[in-house]
Amino acid sequence: MKTVVLLSDARNPVSGRAQLSRLEAQAIGLAAELDESPQGLHVGPGEEGVSAGLGHGLCGLDVIEAPEGEDPLPALAAFLATSLKSDEPPALVLCGRRGEGGLDTGLVPYLLAEALGLPILADAVALRPGEASDTLVVDQAMAKGARRRVTIRLPAIVTVHPLAPPPLPFAFGRMRRGEIRRHAADVSEVPVDVDAGERPHRARPKLMRTAGTASGGANLHVGPDPEEAARLILAYLEDNGIRRYGQG
Amino acid sequence: MTAAAFLPWLIVAMIIVAAIQIGRRVMLWRQGRPAAVDWIAGLKALPRRYLVDVHHVVDRDRSASRMHVPTAGGLVLASGLLVLGLIPALAASHLYWALVALSFMVMTAGVVLETQRRYPRALPRLSLGRWQRLPVYLGVFAVCGLLTTVLAALGNPLPVLSLLLFFPTAAAGLALAATTATGPMRHALAGATHLVAHPRPQRFDPEAAKGEATGLRPLDLDAEKLGTETPADFAWNRLLAFDACVQCGRCEAACPAFAAGQPLSPKHLIADLAAASGGGHARAYAGQPYPNERATGGAAGAHTAIVSPEGLVHPDTLWSCTTCRACVEECPMMIEHVDAIVDLRRFQTLERGAVPMKAEEPLAHYRGCDEPNGRPLFERTDFAAGLSLPRIVEKGEAEVLLWLGQAAYDLRGQRTLKALIQTLNAAGVDFAVLGGQERDCGDLARRLGDEATFQRLARANVETLSRYRFGRILTADPHALHVIRNEYPAFGGAYKVVHHTAFLAELVESGRLAPASLAGRTITYHDPCYLGRYNGEVEAPRALLDALGLERREMARSGKRSMCCGGGGGAPSADVPGDTRIPDIRMGQVKETGAKTVAVACPQCTAMLEGVTGERPEVKDVAELLWEAIEAGRRKPAGAAAARELEPA
Repeated sequence: MKTVVLLSDARNPVSGRAQLSRLEAQAIGLAAELDESPQGLHVGPGEEGVSAGLGHGLCGLDVIEAPEGEDPLPALAAFLATSLKSDEPPALVLCGRRGEGGLDTGLVPYLLAEALGLPILADAVALRPGEASDTLVVDQAMAKGARRRVTIRLPAIVTVHPLAPPPLPFAFGRMRRGEIRRHAADVSEVPVDVDAGERPHRARPKLMRTAGTASGGANLHVGPDPEEAARLILAYLEDNGIRRYGQG
Repeated sequence: MTAAAFLPWLIVAMIIVAAIQIGRRVMLWRQGRPAAVDWIAGLKALPRRYLVDVHHVVDRDRSASRMHVPTAGGLVLASGLLVLGLIPALAASHLYWALVALSFMVMTAGVVLETQRRYPRALPRLSLGRWQRLPVYLGVFAVCGLLTTVLAALGNPLPVLSLLLFFPTAAAGLALAATTATGPMRHALAGATHLVAHPRPQRFDPEAAKGEATGLRPLDLDAEKLGTETPADFAWNRLLAFDACVQCGRCEAACPAFAAGQPLSPKHLIADLAAASGGGHARAYAGQPYPNERATGGAAGAHTAIVSPEGLVHPDTLWSCTTCRACVEECPMMIEHVDAIVDLRRFQTLERGAVPMKAEEPLAHYRGCDEPNGRPLFERTDFAAGLSLPRIVEKGEAEVLLWLGQAAYDLRGQRTLKALIQTLNAAGVDFAVLGGQERDCGDLARRLGDEATFQRLARANVETLSRYRFGRILTADPHALHVIRNEYPAFGGAYKVVHHTAFLAELVESGRLAPASLAGRTITYHDPCYLGRYNGEVEAPRALLDALGLERREMARSGKRSMCCGGGGGAPSADVPGDTRIPDIRMGQVKETGAKTVAVACPQCTAMLEGVTGERPEVKDVAELLWEAIEAGRRKPAGAAAARELEPA
């Protein structure tokens, strides 16, 4: 199963040097179980930092060169859209939850899924191929240590949870042998709406009481109509003071 | 024709058998990588290396040297004379046979002494099996040879007895010659060749500083394969070195990991490495097993991985080593155990990433922020708030550059450094620190096999140091001292590095410091491996302690033969479980002296020895003791009575 791991621009919290995010190293570990030669994908000024992914188990790394601080999304979307149309399209795109030290919106996986029209599943701790072809069984981490097993149809984007198994140990020799392919950014193909907008911070109530992992009870709705489901969710959020109507 | 007349032909037959057997071994050595060997210099130096350097080590165990000199001397002399016996004129001479008999007699005396070491019960460190049978072959050869030649010297009065004696002589002699491939006698030629083609010829140079022969060599990071995986990845003269082993077990007796019940015995490891290229042990290994031995698959061959659960050596064996070099110091065959272990570790770390789980964290911190503890570099001088600690970036130059090292992040190490800094200020030394520009020296990374990280740090540190002018580097950490003094020159940085004990001893001797006497306290000094064994500095700290008027008691193992605290070589990071802890054993040796204080000179030793629980002697760095004495000198006017210890009211 061809797997691509997205590598973000992470910074070491102590030295501020570019490094591989631990979560993405864990994603590489998950990818290595599915794919003999998992590939990495990074958009940024160079491979400093992310090349460590090769030492943690990636076999190759595509680096799309973009100036520092540039939004990586259009380049990512364009590159993945091209490779999805190729003869050997990636079946799975793995990513972390957010960058570490760069522009960390945490939105990249979602915006990317939207741009590519792929399903997205968050917080995977274990992956294995499903029984049917082109499916993937994902163990999803939920609050309070609960796990949920979900089967999804591929291709898909999956984000990795920090409770996934620790990364494969770093080996300098593997990093040295890994192939790095540099590309110029080509953003013309897929237009992406990257204006996530900015709002002033507003304190939200804590969800300790209401948030539970137990699915079921009065709030369980099996197979509702999408319109109905959206209405129920919005009603729930408003009941709990999480969303106030019209204020976002 | 007498039976004795066959003896020269027996020796010729033995030489042919031995040559065939050695040839088989040479073929195995040739599988190793090429190595630059100065044959001419090596051959010239051979007599001195054998008669001085080797003898010096062998002679530490008197029973060994007394046994070996007559046995080997007698064997070589008798064989040499017997070959001359092919000349008919000589063979007819009674005097000639008397001479041969005399050399057999010398050999017999040696074998008797050897037998005493092994029978009825061998020393525990000696290997049994074929090694236990060796004196039997030697004894039969010597005694029967002696009797045959005595009869020949007397004019062969009993030809039948003489012939009957010849057969056991021949059998034992050929058996000896046959063991030159895989058995005990291969040590003779391999040992001599090893002395000629030794991978570290500097260690035999009495003029060279000890550190030159102990620093690790840089690894070519562009090589096809990094580190040593299979026997064929060793240089050929390393393979040769493994064959030189006589399994005397002195390394095992000195090994701290072995004593603590961790699965490492240097002797067993070298025997395994010697066996690995030939496809495994020809006969079962007959020494003590690795303590708490881990099961391995036992697969071997010149191109088979040595360290793996399927191979001959378990990874835990490799990671138990503290790189203290006690084995190298004790080895009469001059084998470099630590080099082999580091080479094997390099492959595990660089190519497989197979470091012990706990050692991954410091290595990751090294990659992320240049410090194994994951602390920011600019915090290194935080402990010295309130002390006068000039930075070289402000001064531009200084007489002495103080290298703080990792101790600056550790509460216990900070106490030592504070005492040192206060002492330097009291003596008016012109010194400065790098402050936030000082990266870790990379010692831990290198000993854990992460040569890539080490080389990056070494280059970065050399680059930083090249920006400032200073006379000497002063450090309280023998690990940093060793790395900067002996391993940085390969990266373009040659510095004069001085350990704080030597520097402080200089200050006291030149009268720049006036410490009061601390007389009345008993003390023992624990030599750090990287100062004593690696750099041969054992006198300065003792001179300093004596200058303080302390009653110094020596432990049974001290100086260059001191025992490790267990803190070196990344062993605390690898943390391979054993029966007991190395520092507990060392602290037991401290207690045996009855000293109330153990003086240390290394932050690792301090941490390890202070980690010993229960009632134990106090652990004090030499710098702390000196500062205590200086403060005591300030409190009382000169010439007053010695200050008494404060007593509670």
